[in-house]
Amino acid sequence: MKLDPKSIQYTSTHEWIHLEDGPGGTKTATVGVSDFAIQALTDLVHIELPELGRTLHAGKPFGEVESVKAVSDLYSPVEGEVVEVNASIAQHLDLMTTDPYGAGWLIKVRVKSGGSQSQLLDHATYKRQCEQAME
Amino acid sequence: MPYLLNNAADQKAMLASIGAASIDELFAMVPAELRLGRPLDVPPALGELALTSHLGDLAAKNDAAGSGVCFLGGGSYDHFVPAVVDFIASRSEFVTSYTPYQPEVSQGNLQAMFEYQTLIAQLTGLDYSNSSLYDGGSAVAEAVLMAMSVNRRPGRVLIAASVHPDYRQILATYLANLDVELVVLQTPGGTLDPETLRTAIDDRTACLLLQQPNFFGCVEKMEVLAKIVHDAGASLVTSVDPISLGLLKRPGDAGADIVVAEGQSLGTPMSFGGPYLGILACREKFLRRMPGRLVGQTVDRSGRRCWVLTLQTREQHIRRDKATSNICTNQALLAVRAAIYLSTMGPTGLAEVANLCLQKAHYAAEQLTKSGRLTLAFPQPMFKEFVVRATDGRVDDLLAKAQAAGIFAGLPLGRWYPELDDCLLVAVTEKRTKEEIDKLVSIVGG
Amino acid sequence: MRNTRSTELIFELSKPGCSGAHLPPCDVPLRPVAELIPAEALASKPLPLPELGEPDIVRHFVNLSTLNMSVDTHFYPLGSCTMKYNPKRNERIAAMPGFANLHPYQSDDTIQGMLELLYRSQQMLAEISGLPAVSLQPAAGAQGEFAALLVAAAYFRDKGIKKSVVLIPDGAHGTNPASAVMSGFTTVPVKSTANGLIDLDDLKARLNDGVAVLMITNPNTLGIFETHIAEIAEMVHEVGGLVYLDGANMNAILGITRPGDFGADLMHFNPHKTFSGPHGGGGPGAGPIGVTEKLAPYLPSPIVVKDGGRYRLDYNRPKSIGRVRSFFGNTGVLVRMYSYIRTHGPDGLRRISENAVLNANYLLSRVKHFLPVPQGDRCMHEFVASATRIKADRDISAMDIAKRLLDYGFHAPTVYFPLIVKEAIMVEPTETESKATLDAFAETLERIVTETPEQLHDAPSSAPVSRPDEVRAARQPMLTWKPTAT
Repeated sequence: MKLDPKSIQYTSTHEWIHLEDGPGGTKTATVGVSDFAIQALTDLVHIELPELGRTLHAGKPFGEVESVKAVSDLYSPVEGEVVEVNASIAQHLDLMTTDPYGAGWLIKVRVKSGGSQSQLLDHATYKRQCEQAME
Repeated sequence: MPYLLNNAADQKAMLASIGAASIDELFAMVPAELRLGRPLDVPPALGELALTSHLGDLAAKNDAAGSGVCFLGGGSYDHFVPAVVDFIASRSEFVTSYTPYQPEVSQGNLQAMFEYQTLIAQLTGLDYSNSSLYDGGSAVAEAVLMAMSVNRRPGRVLIAASVHPDYRQILATYLANLDVELVVLQTPGGTLDPETLRTAIDDRTACLLLQQPNFFGCVEKMEVLAKIVHDAGASLVTSVDPISLGLLKRPGDAGADIVVAEGQSLGTPMSFGGPYLGILACREKFLRRMPGRLVGQTVDRSGRRCWVLTLQTREQHIRRDKATSNICTNQALLAVRAAIYLSTMGPTGLAEVANLCLQKAHYAAEQLTKSGRLTLAFPQPMFKEFVVRATDGRVDDLLAKAQAAGIFAGLPLGRWYPELDDCLLVAVTEKRTKEEIDKLVSIVGG
Repeated sequence: MRNTRSTELIFELSKPGCSGAHLPPCDVPLRPVAELIPAEALASKPLPLPELGEPDIVRHFVNLSTLNMSVDTHFYPLGSCTMKYNPKRNERIAAMPGFANLHPYQSDDTIQGMLELLYRSQQMLAEISGLPAVSLQPAAGAQGEFAALLVAAAYFRDKGIKKSVVLIPDGAHGTNPASAVMSGFTTVPVKSTANGLIDLDDLKARLNDGVAVLMITNPNTLGIFETHIAEIAEMVHEVGGLVYLDGANMNAILGITRPGDFGADLMHFNPHKTFSGPHGGGGPGAGPIGVTEKLAPYLPSPIVVKDGGRYRLDYNRPKSIGRVRSFFGNTGVLVRMYSYIRTHGPDGLRRISENAVLNANYLLSRVKHFLPVPQGDRCMHEFVASATRIKADRDISAMDIAKRLLDYGFHAPTVYFPLIVKEAIMVEPTETESKATLDAFAETLERIVTETPEQLHDAPSSAPVSRPDEVRAARQPMLTWKPTAT
């Protein structure tokens, strides 16, 4: 998997989300952290991800990512159930830096139909938000 | 004012540089109506000579355990402190430094902490130790909070009545405003009956808190209890006497998941209850929720081995309201003392100390109960403490008679256990001699 | 002269058969251990502790100690920590057998001198704080915060008042929010103005009936006295809340103004800071708390009371929160505190603060020209400079400056705290430093900011080690020595 950062959506809290059609008319969301946020966090040292089957709610934390002297919550963009967790990421945190939109993905969520959803930004809008934050 | 270094000329030059006319002007931020406007009502200053004699007078109004004979225990013990501990731990560089925020100029403290963490892991048989908490009692509370969090079972905690009553009260105080049920398991026979535990434990229980040897000095059936705890998906938190580990199976080998201890026995004077040393060690799965400072090994820029404070994102200065604990300052100097003590004792020395305690405690128990005026309250295997019951119920008389002879005979238990108000907890360390024990026996037991 | 051989890890210096212990022979009849302890409770093999003789142990730890900077050896302007001189007389006094060898469960009549000292300490802290009821039990400042918040919670529960929120200014120590959550409250931050004072409008917006406590540090973490403190306290009291004072910065106001007089209902002291510690490489400290009369019944037990001419420990306090640590408290630290207060007397205590504030303002006046101090020209006992400009202009960070100071023989100030100042450099000289030391420090700082970024990025170059790889330490935690580890 290698996503084009321009073709996916973002949250104001720096998660990215890619939605795909899943089995039986459901939708599956792949979630990761944007390149911008990872650069800002500097050297990552640890990540906490949810266990399989956990129910997530839009806008609520699903995990944490830590650098040496900072810790940031990861917020779920959608409501749904965790169906897959990137098992290799904890041992290879550098994947989040080197390939944030590919091998650096974090979790896949089976989206609850009609469930809550965070406000999603397209690439251009998100980029503008980041540029403003830099100033 | 022996500790000020600036004379009037210095002060004048400093005020000129600041651009202030007087020191008083520097306090302009403090509104006039909030000023004290009078001298503090505290006693007048004392020079060093007068101060030393004043405090010498206060000290002389106490009967130091060292001048008498101490059979008091219950979490603070009159163990021998080798001179090397005092000597090394008085080094200015250990005493007058602070938390190693600048690792490049704190390698002495950091390495000593790393050695302490390793020594405690070796002693307890667990994976990790932090670099200290306040004392054995608050360590119990921190350990329980950690078990609740890691096991995701915040609602229910079991604690044996044979755990130090002050520790139980500390735990109750810590948990008072959290929505958690704290269940005390009675121990009428002196130790926790596995059946009592089996009945009480359920799938909401975060942990069982056990003390080994327990407050009464008795040895709990730890492995049996550990199995019941683990079968219920809970954790076993054990408060241990570190000296006992010279003989007893390490708690990590006997099934404990988190071990806490009062580390005072490891080279720290009794000092009327503090400062002491809170020991906390645990298995790997608790690592990220451990409270307190942790020191880790790494390398510097030229690849030299060195040490730093690590996993700091657990702590209050980074995680603030989501921190694993509010602890900031710990008991580093006492941890250094423990590291020196354990290094000095080594495996054979600690085993010898433990065996001396064991032998002397058993001799004392046997002699004290020989005449029948005192009986053993709990005929269970014990280490260095035991509970005796006065068959005539008069423990106060006993204590008074012993005290008149310069002996602190033991700790009356009625304050915590009404049913044991005719009982004394007697502690015997390696420092007690046969002569002292025989004297105690002749006064209270014979 | 450093001896690197002896600073190998103690486990690497171990040699089978060595021991620093020499125990007396057993003078009671020996019984087989197996007769006394059930086999399943006994260790099956010796502990894996290191084995060393006493000379090796001494050489090892003494050499380790030389790798530390300390107050006795260096200027240590660590902001917020009050690293003042630690009087040696206090050490000798605390070690007197009449204090050091007391068992905490001795009967009251055998510890009258200790109880008198503790009783007088309670009284002296009450006078210094203007808060009449004192508990000496908490073991550290953070535990004092926690205990005091439990007192507040117990008070509201007892009065049948439902309150759940603790307000905390954004410049506060991290212990404040952590303590609030541990005591069952939820926290709401309050904004600071540019000079670090509480934003009164924001405070007003946050205040309502649900607010139990406002935690405030005064002087605050920027070393500024909250000029509006009385008004702030009144606002909190109007909604039925309590004001908690974090006493970390008491060194600025001894005998000048009292928390109880400016509206605080509860506070903690840091005897290891204000009353000369020492800090012990990270403890022990102590964290006595003072409260108003109406909160007194809820204080931890026991406290020392005086009946006629006799002192005793009072446990019979039915509304007490219980206890937060075992026994009485960090008594050894309290003996030093008592000794320190008695050394100074009323005039001396005031002069501590006067000179702490003078030293800080003097250093501020020397530093602000080349290292901006956003809060302005005046401070109380400490000030916070910012390296933002030099970071932008020359890529020199607060951390670089801190590390370079080590090369010149100064401990670094606190950096990156408080969080409300970017590239913060928090300097607290304390009253026990001379003008000459402050001059040397200021001149060194000035020299450092003119050095090349490369020199600074590589600093320190003369310390026992260079900058450790903290990422590696956190990614693959190595927290104990293992025989196979390299």
